[in-house]
Amino acid sequence: MASLFRAYGRGLGVLLLAIAALWILALIVVPLGAMIEQSLWWKDSKGDITLQIDRLYNDMATLQLDAAGETDAARKAGFEAQIAQKQALATELEAQETNPPKTYGLANFTRMSALHFYIFVRTIFYALMVTALALVVCYPMAYAVALASGPRKAIVLTVALIVPYAINELLRVYAWLMILDYRGVINGILAWLGMVDLDNRGWIPFLENPSAVFLAMIYTYVLFMVFPMVNTLETLDRNQIEAARDLGASSFRIHRRVIIPHAKPGIAVGCIMTFMLSAGSYSVPAIMTRGQGGDWFSQLVYRQFYESNNWNMGSAYAVSLLVVCTAFILIMMRLFGVGLRDIAK
Amino acid sequence: MRGKDVRLDQVSIRFGDSIAVQPLNLTIEAGEFFSILGPSGCGKTTILRTVSGFIEPTIGRVLIGGEDMAGKGPNERPTALIFQNLALFPLMSVAENVAFGLEARGVAKAERLKRAQELLELVALGGYGDKKPSDLSGGQRQRVAIARALAVEPSVLLLDEPLSALDLKLRQHMRAELRAIQKRVGITFIYITHDQGEALAMSDRVAVMSRGRLEQVAAPDTLYAEPATPFVATFVGEQNVIRGTLRRISNGAASVDTPLGPIEGREVGTPAIGAPVLVMVRPERMTLGATRDNSIPVTLKARHLEGPSVNLECVTGGQTLTVTLANGPAMRELPSDLVLGFGREDARVYAEGALAHG
Repeated sequence: MASLFRAYGRGLGVLLLAIAALWILALIVVPLGAMIEQSLWWKDSKGDITLQIDRLYNDMATLQLDAAGETDAARKAGFEAQIAQKQALATELEAQETNPPKTYGLANFTRMSALHFYIFVRTIFYALMVTALALVVCYPMAYAVALASGPRKAIVLTVALIVPYAINELLRVYAWLMILDYRGVINGILAWLGMVDLDNRGWIPFLENPSAVFLAMIYTYVLFMVFPMVNTLETLDRNQIEAARDLGASSFRIHRRVIIPHAKPGIAVGCIMTFMLSAGSYSVPAIMTRGQGGDWFSQLVYRQFYESNNWNMGSAYAVSLLVVCTAFILIMMRLFGVGLRDIAK
Repeated sequence: MRGKDVRLDQVSIRFGDSIAVQPLNLTIEAGEFFSILGPSGCGKTTILRTVSGFIEPTIGRVLIGGEDMAGKGPNERPTALIFQNLALFPLMSVAENVAFGLEARGVAKAERLKRAQELLELVALGGYGDKKPSDLSGGQRQRVAIARALAVEPSVLLLDEPLSALDLKLRQHMRAELRAIQKRVGITFIYITHDQGEALAMSDRVAVMSRGRLEQVAAPDTLYAEPATPFVATFVGEQNVIRGTLRRISNGAASVDTPLGPIEGREVGTPAIGAPVLVMVRPERMTLGATRDNSIPVTLKARHLEGPSVNLECVTGGQTLTVTLANGPAMRELPSDLVLGFGREDARVYAEGALAHG
């Protein structure tokens, strides 16, 4: 901090610090804090509270009947006192019913049903699959782009990567929907070839298979995998590739021993981004499966918020996903032997 | 390790429309330290990459040890290339770097590391196997690159200006070292450089190239003493160049009319009588005082002390002549009017041609 003041002077230094603080506050502390806080409490709305109130009013009605028919003043006063007591209890319970007390605890995290937990695990697995497939698809692509030079490179970059991404994500997903639908492009071609019979619903139900989601997701997030890899591959000294070849190495060995080790930080960043995006993707599974394939966890989170109206549970789900994704990042970094420093480069 | 001879047979290389290498024949003997010297863009690196297999000649054949290399990639040739920037693998240890070629050949780990250790000892880096290349100095990295190339037991080692990144002291040290390593392993070295000092100091023979053409192939002494073309004469060492017209030739002795008066010299090639010619005299071949063959009166303009020698910058008739003399007491006080003398044998007369420096 002292060096910051030395470099920029007191006024500008304070301003820079303030901007940094604002950034951290607005982007990390406030949203994350709000989400975690939300996930840590629930409203104790016991289901039988209404029943209790109903019973109290029943009792009071009986007591009033008793009081009305009673002639002995002392006993009548006794009934009245009982009625007042019950009324007080009922008022208290009614207050609780309309505004149940908050209780803090971890119950939101432990209350997940077996089905939801299964979907959670499956989503993580699917996201890993998408990441792995995207890596396999993107590595050769990134390699080709990084090593192409001159005008050819610009063409490859533009045609293969930029143009598809000039289109909105939703439109791209819908495009795949149209391709894979029951009466979509592929089934249409197959019908034209006489291989399926659309009139008798003899189509191939691509969309009912999770791989349809994988496909659309890889297509949607391919850029996030390719660009970090292109960036690191571009910094590779091509002489190293030639040197390895000159020393007799096969292409496979050159990739394994020279190119991939060099590209590791880029691969790690690409994997992390793709994994995070696919694990948290809502639109792609929602659109592609239309409820006919299995849900992804993000869809559950959405429903907790907007259909169950249980924001606490939704927050807990979201935080769980965040924790697992963060763990994944740390594992990836350990696995690839890259530090934050390498990734920042 | 055994050296093999390299033969370029009518090799010509084009990139699109531009001709990088004009058709040329070149034979490099087995076990020879052969340098290709020339300014940047003369085609020397192209030739090296052709021998190593990264470039196929447009026309002609490359033969190594008598075997035609057509269609063989860099990994199938008995050559190893040392890159200008060395291209060591930064993420591997020094020993892994050296062992990489053996790894590629499927040699077991223990065996290849043992071999790497031997090679590192050969280049006096025995204790550095576990370090990363970035931990080493420039000269040490240089030696790692040599060890890595030697590990695959090449018959021909190709070096692409490997010393250019080093500072002067280290460069001079590495010259001797490279020469010693070549003597020890006995394989053919083809060394690319634009530094005439390196080429002259290390090589058995030197080829001088200019604009994709071979100018001269000769032993260093011959190259310096008897350059075949004006380009070689001016590229290798210093020259005083005097333009003139050839008046007479008899028995190889040429008389030239120049703005500085008639000069007697020795013809090189066959310039025509009456044609414009270039007379070249090395600064150290000139002396103070008139000689029997040639004497030119000049005015001393500047004296540059080099230490063991002194360079005198003289002018006459709008032309600057430089004389290099051994330093001594007589050099401290010089009159401004001098006479420069040189023998007939020291003035070489060339037909007009391209010079190395404009």
